[in-house]
Amino acid sequence: MPGRKVIIGASDRESAFYEDLATRYGTPLLVLDRQRLIAQYRRLQRALPDVDLYYAIKALPYVAVLQTLNEVGAGFDVASSGELDLLVDLKVSGRRTIHTHPVKRDSDIRDALRFGSTTFVIDNASELNKLQPYRGRVGVLLRVSFRSESAVVDLSRKFGCLEEEIPDIVREAERLGIHIRGLSFHVGSQCGDAGRHVEAIQRCAQRMQEVNAFARAPLATLDIGGGFPADYALEGLDIEAFCQPIRKTLAELPADWHILAEPGRYLVAPAVTSITRVIGKSLRGDIPWYYLDDGVYGSYSGQIFDHARYPLQVLRDGPTKPSVLAGPTCDSIDIIAEDIALPELETGDLVIGHQMGAYTAATRTRFNLLPDARFVVIDHGNQESDAVGG
Amino acid sequence: MRYFKETLYDSVCQEFRIDKVYFESRTEHQHLIIFHNAFLGRVMALDGVVQTTEADEFIYHEMMAHVPIFAHGQARKVLIIGGGDGAMLREVLRHAQIQATQVEIDQAVIDMSKEHLPNHSQGAFDDPRANIVIDDGIEFLRNTSEKFDVIICDSTDPIGPGEVLFSQDFYTLAHDCLTPGGILVTQNGVPFFQLDEVTTTHQRMKKVFADHAFYSAAVPTYHGGIMTFAWGSDNPALRQIDRQTLERRFSDAGFRTRYYNPAIHQACFALPQYLLDELAEQKE
Repeated sequence: MPGRKVIIGASDRESAFYEDLATRYGTPLLVLDRQRLIAQYRRLQRALPDVDLYYAIKALPYVAVLQTLNEVGAGFDVASSGELDLLVDLKVSGRRTIHTHPVKRDSDIRDALRFGSTTFVIDNASELNKLQPYRGRVGVLLRVSFRSESAVVDLSRKFGCLEEEIPDIVREAERLGIHIRGLSFHVGSQCGDAGRHVEAIQRCAQRMQEVNAFARAPLATLDIGGGFPADYALEGLDIEAFCQPIRKTLAELPADWHILAEPGRYLVAPAVTSITRVIGKSLRGDIPWYYLDDGVYGSYSGQIFDHARYPLQVLRDGPTKPSVLAGPTCDSIDIIAEDIALPELETGDLVIGHQMGAYTAATRTRFNLLPDARFVVIDHGNQESDAVGG
Repeated sequence: MRYFKETLYDSVCQEFRIDKVYFESRTEHQHLIIFHNAFLGRVMALDGVVQTTEADEFIYHEMMAHVPIFAHGQARKVLIIGGGDGAMLREVLRHAQIQATQVEIDQAVIDMSKEHLPNHSQGAFDDPRANIVIDDGIEFLRNTSEKFDVIICDSTDPIGPGEVLFSQDFYTLAHDCLTPGGILVTQNGVPFFQLDEVTTTHQRMKKVFADHAFYSAAVPTYHGGIMTFAWGSDNPALRQIDRQTLERRFSDAGFRTRYYNPAIHQACFALPQYLLDELAEQKE
């Protein structure tokens, strides 16, 4: 895990922007910039023009996010009945969704079918039995496991069948009268480059061709999952360059295949900014400790579950010394950053967390019954060059 | 411009142009929409599935009401389960001798249908011969001491609120609420796409009724060819009423229909071979 990006100081305009939000809404805040979200979606669309994008709701399951993506025509990757409920509220057609949790209860399947979500992901033959009662209605994507060493979060250990198992599962599905539409894979999260995507696409394509030599109905859908990175280092991520090898590989597939992807992190991470306030400070030994009103049990939970290190910014400038930023709960692990070089902060100062849309609020807890960060939606505009969003 | 895409099947779907939305609501886990389509008139869809349209509802309702009632010949008491739009009640009450009880789980469905699908009920809910009960259909059967000559189950899809109306318990309770030789009919889906619905119902109903069969009609907006209606009775003769008797009963009833007639009545029990083969396989 690379080190954490820290920004010391801010322009008057930036400071005024954050102070205004903090004054108006209180802290802690999570601020969604809808325009930034739309810009991310459009960028990924341009980078993968022949791929249908299904937003992975789990990354940030907020109505404002879904509504914004719905308006620009995104599909939705749904993993639970709770996530489906959000879409029902928005009157999204089930035909623009896929149900991707490989392990389902009967009630999950029935809820999804009632909603109109008819494409399901499985990764083993026993899951086929659960779909058998609904065989006339469903289409199935078979998730294949490709281990990823370069990805930060390895999603292929828990889910995915082995490549060698594909033919037997397809035959079993045929015996049960279930149509397997194609394959899906997840190379992992926050990939450094698209090498694993390319390899997985090529291997899936080869397996699909092999299966199509004997299968009654051809496999013609390939779901290339997620793994599109967020710019946690604030180095200016070029998604066009990242996707170029994927595009090139997809261009070699049969033209009538249907290609899907399930982006989550790439879309929402830069669209959300955390605003917290220093609520107390102390000196322990030589080290200043600053206590914030949000921490790893709240919006910064992704530091625990998602192994993310979000770029931080303080608005005050000055000589720095090693400091600690701690969260508001009583637990000693509630520390956002240790040994971070900061100027001296005062109680009441704002600390800004950037790239905080993905797997942040989604995984927060109720520990200590501290209030959740308030979720605020703004239409600030597309400012890619201005990484701090201010 | 909006379109409604049906979401029944993964690989095919029918699409309707929405010319005007009359009503749209989301209740807990349920999405209901009533809209106007230039060809079909008012269309009601629940959870992404078309339930009824003004243009073709007569086929469904006439076939579910008149086939069992004319086959029975002596029906006085008819029970309708579901059918909140009121069209089944409308058709049943066209038989002057009949007293109808309708059990609908949700008063809101009736109120909403009266307002937004008035041509379905055409005032049937206000008929003095209609007794409207708001209750769960299976609970009503469990608790009632009344017997009915004909029970019509006008339910939704088995995935959703209508699920229990396809259960073994339901068929057993319905059987026990029939007068001797009474008839149960239920809507049973489009077998070309949902063959399993036919075989499941077959397995369950044959345990309860001395005579059990399916009859069919093609309702255009129930996409996929014919739909089936399940039929159960302890009197096998009621499925074999001769043409003259049916003609006489129909003419005595003194009303006009748009789909039903005695020739259709006799023919509708004929099933395509793929269904007969499937049902024969189930017997083994």
